[in-house]
Amino acid sequence: MKLTRRDAIKLGVAAGAAAYATYRLGGFESLLRPAASGGYSSGALTESRVASVCLQCPAGCGIVVRVVDGRAVKIEGNPTHPINLGRLCPKGQIGLQILYDPDRIKQPYVREELWQAFQEGSLSAYLAAETRDRTPEDLIPVPGATADEQWDNALEVAAAALRLIRESSAPGEGPHQLLFMSGRNRGQMGGFIDRFCAAYGTPNHIGHSSICADGSPMAHWATQGWKAYSGYDWDNTNYLLCFGGAFLEAWRPTTRLLRAHGTMRQGRPVRAKIVQVDVRFSVTAAKADEWIPIKPGTDGALALGIAHVIIQANLYDAAYVQEHTFGFEDWTDPNGAQHVGWKNVVLQDYAPELVSGITGVPVETIERVAREFATTRPAIAAGERGASMQTNGVYNRIAIHALNALVGSFGRVGGPIRQREPPLASVPAATQDENAIAGGAQPAFDFRGTIYYPLAGKVYQGVPDFILGKPDPGGRILVPPYRAKALLCYYTNPLYSTPDNARWEEAIRRIPFVMTFSPFMDETTAHADLILPDSTYLERWHDDVIYPSLGFPVVGLRQPVVDPLYATRNTGDVLIQLAQHLGGTVAQSFPWADFLEFLKARYQGIFASGRGRVGDIPLSGIASFEGFWETFAREGVWSDPPYAFEDWAFTFATPSGRFEFYSQLLHEKLEHLAEEEAKKIQDPPPSSLVDQKLDQILEGLGLTARGDRVFLPHFEPPQYVGEETVFPLHLVTYKLMVHAEGRGANVPLLREVMPSHLRGMTNWDTWAEIHPETARAYGIQDGDLMWIESPVKDDRGSLRRIRVRARLYEGARPDTVAMPFELGHTAYGRWAKGMGQNPNRILANQYDLLGGLAAFSPTRIRVSPAGGG
Amino acid sequence: MVRWGLVIDLDKCTACQACVVACRVENNVPIGGEEEVRKERAIFWNQFFSEIHGEYPNVRLHMFPRPCMHCEDPPCVPVCPVDATYKDKDGRVLVRYDKCIGCRYCMVACPYGARYFNWFTPEYGEGHGNHLNPDVVRDGEGWIVGPSPRPRGVVEKCTLCVQRIERAKEEGTPLGSEHEGGVVSACAQTCPAFAISFGDLEDPSSDVYRLSKDKRAFRLLEDLGTRPQVYYLSEG
Ligand code: SF4
Ligand code: SF4
Ligand code: SF4
Repeated sequence: MKLTRRDAIKLGVAAGAAAYATYRLGGFESLLRPAASGGYSSGALTESRVASVCLQCPAGCGIVVRVVDGRAVKIEGNPTHPINLGRLCPKGQIGLQILYDPDRIKQPYVREELWQAFQEGSLSAYLAAETRDRTPEDLIPVPGATADEQWDNALEVAAAALRLIRESSAPGEGPHQLLFMSGRNRGQMGGFIDRFCAAYGTPNHIGHSSICADGSPMAHWATQGWKAYSGYDWDNTNYLLCFGGAFLEAWRPTTRLLRAHGTMRQGRPVRAKIVQVDVRFSVTAAKADEWIPIKPGTDGALALGIAHVIIQANLYDAAYVQEHTFGFEDWTDPNGAQHVGWKNVVLQDYAPELVSGITGVPVETIERVAREFATTRPAIAAGERGASMQTNGVYNRIAIHALNALVGSFGRVGGPIRQREPPLASVPAATQDENAIAGGAQPAFDFRGTIYYPLAGKVYQGVPDFILGKPDPGGRILVPPYRAKALLCYYTNPLYSTPDNARWEEAIRRIPFVMTFSPFMDETTAHADLILPDSTYLERWHDDVIYPSLGFPVVGLRQPVVDPLYATRNTGDVLIQLAQHLGGTVAQSFPWADFLEFLKARYQGIFASGRGRVGDIPLSGIASFEGFWETFAREGVWSDPPYAFEDWAFTFATPSGRFEFYSQLLHEKLEHLAEEEAKKIQDPPPSSLVDQKLDQILEGLGLTARGDRVFLPHFEPPQYVGEETVFPLHLVTYKLMVHAEGRGANVPLLREVMPSHLRGMTNWDTWAEIHPETARAYGIQDGDLMWIESPVKDDRGSLRRIRVRARLYEGARPDTVAMPFELGHTAYGRWAKGMGQNPNRILANQYDLLGGLAAFSPTRIRVSPAGGG
Repeated sequence: MVRWGLVIDLDKCTACQACVVACRVENNVPIGGEEEVRKERAIFWNQFFSEIHGEYPNVRLHMFPRPCMHCEDPPCVPVCPVDATYKDKDGRVLVRYDKCIGCRYCMVACPYGARYFNWFTPEYGEGHGNHLNPDVVRDGEGWIVGPSPRPRGVVEKCTLCVQRIERAKEEGTPLGSEHEGGVVSACAQTCPAFAISFGDLEDPSSDVYRLSKDKRAFRLLEDLGTRPQVYYLSEG
């Protein structure tokens, strides 16, 4: 007898009825009726496809969202967007679980005590508190009969607090006491926050790039004269030598790089060779043609060893070096002083035998790769966080970058290229009253650009130390001349993402007023006094200028694909509204009705340029700005290809107009700081005093080089934390493709995706990769729980440790344990909270002091079995 | 005659798993949760596999996505006692969800592990149910074969995104990777590396036809004689 499910239902057998009930989910009642015929149906009353821009990472991929009866049901790539050509990475695919996350913050929240203080008129006392303990349980929905009323109240509380801080006449007080920390500021958002800070009167817009990848822009600045990420003409290169950049996992722009991997492999005359230098056998290393394992923090030495071989064997592009570089040969400056050229430094200091000793890379490998790299052109030498976010990160990146000059790659087809900006219209600068001018003139809270962190544009991870007056990694106690009274956070979560993040526990207590714009209850938001929740990227207007990559300018437009689900507001709009509530010149600085109006003002410039195309439509054929905007919103993207190669003045914006092996900008910066220091003693200072001060500055930065070498690509030994005898292993951290930007822990579908390189591991646990021999030596088996203990101490002086699952991995260096970032949240919704471990708990707060950047790999550790299973 | 198939170029593949994620969103695959994943009961119509060889530092890692192979001789079909699974006229192996009795013979028969059982009533959480794909596909006899949420107790698997294909046929949109804007399966649609091609293996002008005859082309467990309609192109 054949039994069908229909029979089963008739007989009431099995779970038939219950099973059928599930068909009701999402309005599928029609399915319960027997169908007469076959074929496709969607039962949709309305269906549309709306173009917008992803925000799951900073790549700015164009998307097209399928919307059925008001529900967004699928995100796909926008085929006319040049960065992703219709494709999306896994994070882009899953954006709907951000939109429909049931744990979103659905309206403004306020700490009950703050609301009371506001009502009773005792805000000054609230803001004067020395410390404040907060828990998320103190938060109440901002009172109000309607959503608009709630928002009005919330904005009034915010404005009242910020006004009090701004207008305080007590000595040392004023608007500069506001710290505005920000993260994923795409398009005009970063500039909008700058504007708010300028109008309000604080120099303290502190972006998060010093815990991200700031080493690269600094290297580009020193050698090429512009501080930004570099584009690369991947499609036309024949050799990629990549140092610690997770090309296929975490580097940006993600989808673009993933496509480039394909174009480097197939459908071209020569299959490009990819060599990955990495501390672990990453997915990127696995997909490369060759993996070169390297000791953490020594990438720069390897690059210099490779340069040595290339120079020694005369394999460099002599014509290019002659025409487009500065400081290669020994030279004499206008004052008649002799300078050693980079060539001789490399030949003297970086013989392969020596480099092999530093890096652990065999001499034969150095020699072979150097020859391949120099003779397979065009070639690219690239590097990212693995090389740059180290104690010696800026110099590592400079050394890697210099290889491109040796083989004549910069500015050429198949080489590193400089990204062109879109022609946006400028708007008048913010209006500043006396308060704003005085506040803005205060020294920045984070000591950026000072003798302590000369190249830094921000020192995000240092903020808790500056608040608490604790020594920085250079052993220096840096206390700003004023107290931080307010902390605003936009799309950033310092309490979770800063190395040694426990430092924040006390630091945040010392800030009387904390406000975030987060749509999610992240760790920082859980400590907020006031939450003005943003709408998600699928519900708001927001532009996006692509991450440097293709070279030619591309901008995209994010728009609401569905109406906002909750009483949340676009932070762009909220900044305008907050400015209105603050009144005076702050309000005057924000004359736009909303963020969209501001965007239109900026994008007049694109229309006026008459250049490029909107989607596939030439802009020149569009008659009015309104017509342009309508087309832009429909197509979602404007771009202006192709890229003009060999524009040398644009490629090299240095004083010499060349690639500077000898960085005149770096020289100028450090010399200037030394002079300022010397002037404090004697004005004008004698040159010997300036030299002495420069020496002291270098000493303070922990740099070993002196003389010309300081300004040349060279190797600084990494500074590990922890005694090798006690902490015999290195700890390195990495990111997975599905969570590359570290924000995916609250997305169940991404959590469920298993890591590409490990079998049988779920994303509900944090694992650590350890070499089988190493594990055996400590009595640890595959899948065991294992303690990782670091030299970082907690308040009671005990070593910090975390318990993770050990994964025995042949791709781990025997001396290095690797673990991914992502989990270990103490907040952030039901799928994230309380699961796995956050490596930041045990990572030492260590920097590249020159750049003021966080170093993520210098921490030494020890491991032990943790029992259980 | 049409014979839908895929070609996956492992040299281009980046192991990003966008294909895996896109498939789950497109086809209303439920979230299993921690326990299910641990018990290997989580459902992945397109599942990602990896295998590591060698010893440090000479290691190789092979990684690949595995959809259903839509075998020309599918061992999973003849074992079904109720004809709930069958090879359709366009070369797809489909499951009639409202006919399946959950005996799981087909799961045992499939050498590729491409079939999954719904151990529990699928749950989409308070909010995530909102993004369910409303598409419905019924076969000629009126059975449900496409992506409506499956009840507890039935087997499900990759359909080569039958809803996308049937809709395109109805609307007269071009089908296959060789056409600009051609409709393809969700995995092929999203693949950032352009590693997956979708199309008609019978059509000499299709990408999949050409690529399936490439010298790098191979099929999984070819010696079993299942004759998969999913081809891989080897690395290097
Ligand atoms: S690369 Fe970034 S922007 Fe593009 S789809 Fe992925 S997350 Fe979105
Ligand atoms: S989406 Fe493409 S590149 Fe990514 S894993 Fe799938 S086949 Fe590979
Ligand atoms: S792969 Fe498995 S489920 Fe798919 S057709 Fe072949 S035997 Fe059947």
